[in-house]
Amino acid sequence: MNVLEVANLNKYFTEPVRNQVLKGVGFQVEAGEFVAITGKSGSGKSTLLYLLSTMDTDFEGSIMINGEQMKGKTNRWLAAFRNQHIGFVFQFHYLLPEFTSLENVMLPARKLGLYPKDQIEQRAMDLLKLLDVESQAAKRAALLSGGQQQRIAIARALINDPSIVMGDEPTGNLDSANSATVFGLFKELAKERQQTVLVVTHDEDFARRADRRIYMADGQIMEG
Amino acid sequence: MKKRLTNIALSASITATYMKAKLRQTLVATAGVAFGITVFIFMVSFIQGTNEYTQDVVFQQSPHLRMYNEVQIADQSLLDRRFPGVINQVHHQKPKDILLNLKDVNQVLDELRADPRVQAASGAITTQVFFRLGSSSLNGKINGVDLEREDQLFNLSGKVIEGSYEEVNVKTNSILMGVGLAKRLNVTTGDQIIITTEKGGNFAVIVVGIFKTGLTDIDKQQCYASIKTVQKLLGVPASYLTEIKVKLFDKELAPEMSGQWQARYHYQGSDWKKDNASLLEGDVLRRMIVYGVAGTILLVAGFGIFNILTMMIYEKMKEIAILKATGFSDSDVRGIFLTQALVIGAAGAVMGLVFGFLISYAVSKVPFNSDVMITLDHLPVSFKPVYYITGFTFGILTTALSGYLPSRKAAKMDPISILRG
Repeated sequence: MNVLEVANLNKYFTEPVRNQVLKGVGFQVEAGEFVAITGKSGSGKSTLLYLLSTMDTDFEGSIMINGEQMKGKTNRWLAAFRNQHIGFVFQFHYLLPEFTSLENVMLPARKLGLYPKDQIEQRAMDLLKLLDVESQAAKRAALLSGGQQQRIAIARALINDPSIVMGDEPTGNLDSANSATVFGLFKELAKERQQTVLVVTHDEDFARRADRRIYMADGQIMEG
Repeated sequence: MKKRLTNIALSASITATYMKAKLRQTLVATAGVAFGITVFIFMVSFIQGTNEYTQDVVFQQSPHLRMYNEVQIADQSLLDRRFPGVINQVHHQKPKDILLNLKDVNQVLDELRADPRVQAASGAITTQVFFRLGSSSLNGKINGVDLEREDQLFNLSGKVIEGSYEEVNVKTNSILMGVGLAKRLNVTTGDQIIITTEKGGNFAVIVVGIFKTGLTDIDKQQCYASIKTVQKLLGVPASYLTEIKVKLFDKELAPEMSGQWQARYHYQGSDWKKDNASLLEGDVLRRMIVYGVAGTILLVAGFGIFNILTMMIYEKMKEIAILKATGFSDSDVRGIFLTQALVIGAAGAVMGLVFGFLISYAVSKVPFNSDVMITLDHLPVSFKPVYYITGFTFGILTTALSGYLPSRKAAKMDPISILRG
């Protein structure tokens, strides 16, 4: 089953001049696939990821996630969809510094409101344990190291059991040891939990070890 | 429904965390709102208290409704009746010489007293006179009143500062004199003075008491006597009364009832609103000043809230983007910041109400002695709940408005442009 179907995707920037950044992009991703999107700066790979993330709604073409069309939906609907079906990991961890690690992880689940609070807390603790940062649970996010923060961010991305986990240079800010851990985790997610992982990266090593690699240049998919 | 509730609880907990992180700024903003509301409550209470007090002084002295006869120029002359449809010009028309007494006055008084809306009704006879003592001669007014009923209407006995109120009823040819008039004539209780009426008759009367209403116009010009005494002065029969004064249970009904009764009894009439138009207008102006000042203070407090939220939103751009990325909708984000403004507003407003009440209460205990307002011993302060309701609403509205603009900005923020860096 295809978790993600992209067809004939066009995207234009109008500032400073009208410029087509994506030119008729189309591909499909199956459940449980670990896909790396690579390409040079300006190839349009980040732009593609933001469109797939549903946060950028200004495009031509079609994006289907879990069989749902993303085009023409309201902001509220998209927000709810993201909350349940998409998990994000960014290059910079972007945790909420005033909240503890545990609270950061719990936030999307509390927004979803599927389980009572104590159950959410239990799930969040399990995730922190899985990522080996459970000792940091009660600390404020601002006080953690970069590697720890990135793991907390991954736990936050996974809390609602999303069908797709998207990453924007998730290892870009980490040393090689931490990069390896994160890579291992993504691999495991795809294999054991049948969660689709879609990662934009500059890291050649990382991309080569993914299940599948989509190489982009000049707004088009060159191979993959 | 349950989902919405958990959503609200979640937004509230995020709001609470943000406010705790910015505790000092939050407190300053709250204090700003509290200060505005405090000043509003205090000023409104004090100014309204003063207004009500002066109104009380005046209205205690003036009936809700008066009916009398007035010398009037006939608006239709005999010529008009004889030659209708033609313009008839009568030069130097003179008013008709009529008796100023009210017809069937005792019967009317009985009828009025039977009306359930009427608290008290009293007949009176009023006349212009000259007071003479030695070489000084001053003009003034004598009110012949039903002393018992007048006391019910205006608490006249409470205003007697020298001599005795009851004596006027018992002693023939005795009067109560206004304190200002007594001073100008240089008389005290027990003195005899000569009164000259309009028609030229002279009478000797005894001053048995001095009263002080606090209204200079009355104290400097007027005397009270029994109806019988004044009727004797004027040489008129016992049924001759020139004025009916009425006090109602609900004074707001006065203009309407005045109209009804004028039509029914064919008297002229007036009510307290007509008699005190300038005083009432002054109250409105003073109230406008209060609302203006309080509004300005709240506006400044509102700017404080606006600033804090705008700064916070700039600081938290990335976090707002993350909240949106993880599934918080635009309206959730707006709610988080708007709730902050409203919490600050509500807390500030409640504090303001409490402080405003305390200050007003303290001020109402400050002793205040005035020569003019003799019944006043403390500063007058009004404690009507409606000021507190207005103050609270006012505070919430200002903060909601000043929170709305930054919140909307946060809600509209595009997460992509921030994540792209």
